Amino acid sequence: MESYQYLLDYFENSPPIIKGVWILSAVFFISVIILTTYLKILRSRLRKNEKKVAEYQKEYESDLITYLYAGNEEDVISAEQQIIVDKLRSCASDEFKRRVIVSTLLRLRNEISGEMADAIQKLYFQSGLISFALKRLKSKKWYVVAKGIRELTQLHIKEVHDKIALLVNHPKKEIRKEVQLYLVTLFHFDGLQFLDVLQTQLSEWDQIQLLEVLQRFDEQEIPDINPWLKSTNDSVVAFALKLAKIYNQFEVKDTLIELLSHPQKKIRVDAIHVLSHLQVFEAKTILKNNFDKLSQEEQIEFFKLLENLCETSDEPFLLTQTTHQNFEIKLSVLKILKTLSNEKFKDLKDFSTDADYVKIYEFLAYNES
Amino acid sequence: MNTSTTEIILFIIHSLFFIYAVFAIASYVILAIISAIETKEYMKKNSFVNYKEILSSTISPSISIIAPAYNESLNIIENVRSLLSSHYVNYDVIIVNDGSKDDSLEKLIVAYDLVKVNFLINQQIPTKPIRAGVFKSTNPAFEKLTVVDKENGGKADALNMGLNISDNQYVACIDVDCLLLENALQKMVKPFLEVTEEKVIATGGVIRIANSCIIKNGKLLDVNLPKKLIEKAQILEYLRAFLLGRMAWSRLNGLLVISGAFGLFDKKIAIEVGGYDTNTVGEDMEIIVRMRRYMQEIKEKYRVAYIPDPLCWTEAPDNYKIFISQRNRWTRGTIETLRKHRKIAFNKKYKSLGMLSYPYWLFFERLAPVIEVIGIVYFTILMALNEVRWDYAIAFIVLAYFFTILFSIVAIFSEELTYHQYKKKGTGFKLLLITALEPFVLHPFILYAAIRGNIDYYFNKKKKWGEMTRKGMAKA
Repeated sequence: MESYQYLLDYFENSPPIIKGVWILSAVFFISVIILTTYLKILRSRLRKNEKKVAEYQKEYESDLITYLYAGNEEDVISAEQQIIVDKLRSCASDEFKRRVIVSTLLRLRNEISGEMADAIQKLYFQSGLISFALKRLKSKKWYVVAKGIRELTQLHIKEVHDKIALLVNHPKKEIRKEVQLYLVTLFHFDGLQFLDVLQTQLSEWDQIQLLEVLQRFDEQEIPDINPWLKSTNDSVVAFALKLAKIYNQFEVKDTLIELLSHPQKKIRVDAIHVLSHLQVFEAKTILKNNFDKLSQEEQIEFFKLLENLCETSDEPFLLTQTTHQNFEIKLSVLKILKTLSNEKFKDLKDFSTDADYVKIYEFLAYNES
Repeated sequence: MNTSTTEIILFIIHSLFFIYAVFAIASYVILAIISAIETKEYMKKNSFVNYKEILSSTISPSISIIAPAYNESLNIIENVRSLLSSHYVNYDVIIVNDGSKDDSLEKLIVAYDLVKVNFLINQQIPTKPIRAGVFKSTNPAFEKLTVVDKENGGKADALNMGLNISDNQYVACIDVDCLLLENALQKMVKPFLEVTEEKVIATGGVIRIANSCIIKNGKLLDVNLPKKLIEKAQILEYLRAFLLGRMAWSRLNGLLVISGAFGLFDKKIAIEVGGYDTNTVGEDMEIIVRMRRYMQEIKEKYRVAYIPDPLCWTEAPDNYKIFISQRNRWTRGTIETLRKHRKIAFNKKYKSLGMLSYPYWLFFERLAPVIEVIGIVYFTILMALNEVRWDYAIAFIVLAYFFTILFSIVAIFSEELTYHQYKKKGTGFKLLLITALEPFVLHPFILYAAIRGNIDYYFNKKKKWGEMTRKGMAKA
């Protein structure tokens, strides 16, 4: 009691700064105690949740499998299926359980196809889960909307196309990305119509994802990509260039040639790359005539094109470039000259004393033997 | 000096210490708050990202993993296997054997069926010459592997050789003994592909401590808390640094360092700035500062991104000797980099780099241990003169101690609410216990190493890299 009184007196008689420091220390100490207790609760809860998720997953998986195999041919819901639908409907009102049901449905949906997949989709409607996803689309929180769209994409719900298409130019890029994936996953090349109205940039990441989705549907007819190659949105042009390359769109070669004078260097470089892939000879002449005006990146890409499309008539031009300062170009030039004529290549041995030239020459000569 | 003059001087000294401490604590709190906001946003954004498509895409950008190796014979085979087991499609692995005196190269040749090949190197960055040559595997299973054997030139020189050899758009510079998770590359490359309004020049990853973790065939099977106090304390320290520090700097686009253990770079820019500096022991920090400086000077919008996911696991020092040697090197690296780029300091031309990042590093990283030691010396003198106001001293020491504990607990919370890697029962209690012990079992050694680093920097210029003996990670 005495020591308690002593501490109290000490505190009372301390200068204000010391009082403040002790008060702050007490606040920190109490915070430490509270956080320590909460950490204990949090860790236990996380562990319990993990266990609960595993248990529910097992239970719902078994229910879903029963549902899938309890169907009858008359396309009418069987009594056994109805029990499962009712159970899932009641569980879906609990957010935690709903999350587990949806993740189990999605996992199963990815593993099966055909009638079984259709049945999963039917169950998604019957159990009322769709209404929760639709509610998510109206949320003010962007990540809730994005997750909702993802769920609808993964369960192939085409019926909400119009609602989702409205979000094509949503200010949040994560939502736009999900919208694009929804449209392309469910409507394949037709889904790419969003490119006509897209006002924002389509990142490389988005482009790769869309192309990967599209490559799953190779039976589809490729739409006319000319309008996208002429788009005022540079990222749409870049994406169309990738489409032109992957789907060998030789018919757009005139537009591709026009892109050689696009104001964006990256687009010009990509256009040369696609023209090289499609082996468009006209491009070679245009680029050769404008060679000195090209940026270094364009020149490097042009030589890659030449490696594909070289002819003996290119020899005089190539010889003027053997002393080019860029290592990659020098390598390309010598490689092409060697391809055109091994004999003439041998005569080039002492053409230059430049260290890089000598190194490249020796490398190519050595590889020959 | 009369009494009043002495009192004024003492008052100024006390005020300076006080102001410095207030600013330091305020900066930690602000950074922690910003980190929390950034982490929350990152978790939301990435909770539904599908990495599988990028993973399998052949049009995904090409990446070279560059891993310098010096006398790594003990673990080199396992380590290379781990690097070759990434699920990313478009990548290769370049191991640069930096003049090892052991049998690393011979082991690699046998294990991976390597043969010497004729290889054309575009020597864009000067390096030490090739020693035994460039090797590729005859086994198609290891076609992604290239081994370069060169004369010893240090880690930076080996990384520069990797930059010269790589034919890819991006380079992941890593320590050969690091364990990369299978999805590490696609997560790290995402910012480069995703950000459209700025150019991403580099991405840094979190480094986690793998001591006592179970690893099999290059895969992390089980995360455990190590037994030794020094290892556990480093886990806590890494959690604080990566989850509460770098995450905030990433949001402020002010990251000055990407850990040398794992970082992904835009190769073109890394080469344009001249590659790694071979004259510093802090090459990982120095190249980032130089790349940032370069981007500022060419007036191009850029970003250094940061991925908080636990993607890279490494072995941390398990004894004080090696720990001190490591931290000594980190200190010298920081001093060297800050000195080399002192032009940036408080220079408006470099915007946040010059006005925020650099000053923060100078005051709260570079000078912090020096100021702390000055404070300790000053306190000792006062004690000797019997001039200590113990009521003040005790109150402030207690406050600092509780703040340290609280800050560490916040870091643990951040970990629990995001990645929750230390799941086992009882681990939480052990981590909490470490928050109380760390100021005694780790901090004094960090301080000692930092002071030794300062002394070595100014008086022992010959000192380069310290010693790091590998024990190898625990295998299943």
